[in-house]
Amino acid sequence: MKIYVCIGSSCHLKGSYDIIAVLKKLVSDRGLEKEVSLNASFCLGHCMDGVTIKIDDQLITGVTPQNITEIFDRAWAERHPA
Amino acid sequence: MMEKLYMESGWLSLNKMGEELCGDRVECINLENCYLMVLADGLGSGVKANILSTLTSKIISTMLANDMTIEECVETIANTLPVCSQRQVAYSTFTILQAFKTTGEVIITQFDNPQVIILRDGKSIPYPMEERVIAGKKIQITHFQGQVGDLLLMMSDGTIHAGVGTVLNFGWQLPEIIEYAQRKYKPDLSARSMAGIICDACRDLYMDMPGDDTTVAALRIRRHREVNLMIGPPVDPAQDEEICRDFFALPGKHIVCGGTTSTLVSRYLGQPVNPSIDYIDPKIPPIAFIKGVDLVTEGVITLGRVVELAQKFVSSQDTDTPWRTSKDGASLIARLLFEEATKVELYVGRAINPAHQNPNLPLNLSLKLRLMEDLAALLEKMDKRVSLRYY
Repeated sequence: MKIYVCIGSSCHLKGSYDIIAVLKKLVSDRGLEKEVSLNASFCLGHCMDGVTIKIDDQLITGVTPQNITEIFDRAWAERHPA
Repeated sequence: MMEKLYMESGWLSLNKMGEELCGDRVECINLENCYLMVLADGLGSGVKANILSTLTSKIISTMLANDMTIEECVETIANTLPVCSQRQVAYSTFTILQAFKTTGEVIITQFDNPQVIILRDGKSIPYPMEERVIAGKKIQITHFQGQVGDLLLMMSDGTIHAGVGTVLNFGWQLPEIIEYAQRKYKPDLSARSMAGIICDACRDLYMDMPGDDTTVAALRIRRHREVNLMIGPPVDPAQDEEICRDFFALPGKHIVCGGTTSTLVSRYLGQPVNPSIDYIDPKIPPIAFIKGVDLVTEGVITLGRVVELAQKFVSSQDTDTPWRTSKDGASLIARLLFEEATKVELYVGRAINPAHQNPNLPLNLSLKLRLMEDLAALLEKMDKRVSLRYY
């Protein structure tokens, strides 16, 4: 699973730094370093819609440090059905 | 014709403890063929010293800039400076550098300040001085053949008095200052940074309570170096390619700022943008890499910080320059623009990013044009040749 977090000006001001921090912690707490690659992206072209991230080919906007865990869990579950 | 040399100057002053005004003064005039630098140290401290040193440095630099001789300058000062009512003398010591841009020759004229230090390849070199008496003052004159890389240090006596009677019995003596300057020297250190390093040491020796006005001024002989910076896409996207072609045809280093801008540069160069995910400073977005570009950063936030750093750097009192070692995008730009560049070309796109018009953002991102004008003005204050191109 490849995650890109936009760190362009708008996203940065809306909290990319904290979102990346949460993601880094999630990945390390769950020992998913091999399965998940965390990346930054310069501008995903959705500056108006809150922080934008891309998981594989899926764009997600309006991401916050509060909802990122839920988004991550859902994406993980979709790719790894129990 | 051979390109002229670039004379880079920089200085810093510490005020005597409790004084609002500095009694030392540095005046620089950048002439077509010659760079003039005068450091004057007025008798006493505070207002009186400030007036004496201001008059002295202004009179000397203005007269020299208008082709008068050293003799005429010194006689004028001797005859016009106000006389101190307590000491019955009119007095300000001075050091003058006249650095010629085509030949590299430097004329050093010294009157009672600590002797000018010349560092070549980081080692202090001795030089002859010819004594001349003008208007009753003993003046030391040196004609010196400078080379690229030479660094000349002028000081007021606050440096050699640093620490007298407290941490050092006799103050910080000249051979020790020379030894320290040699130890701290690095070939890429700017004049301003070198002056800052020595001033910092003085501040420490004074234990943050300077007993005298202390000034260090440096002149560094350099070749021109170009650094070019691009921010913002063109208003008309049809111009993308033309702008990129012109920008990358410029000699020197290339900095690209902004998400959209780096995307269009990446398209032009046919190379992907690889952003780093590591924040060095939580307030400054991480940098990115594009093959063929020397530095890629985010736009307005990073440059906002660069302007703040530049404002601090041009003030003559702030010795704190954390950007010299830090690796965040703004610090990296600062190093290239403030230290490496002598000529700066700024490419500014006027396209408006709709997301930046959002009034709910904590910072006004639409200030790009204003920011770039401020940056250009600050770089000019650092004696860089700056040109702005809008598109």
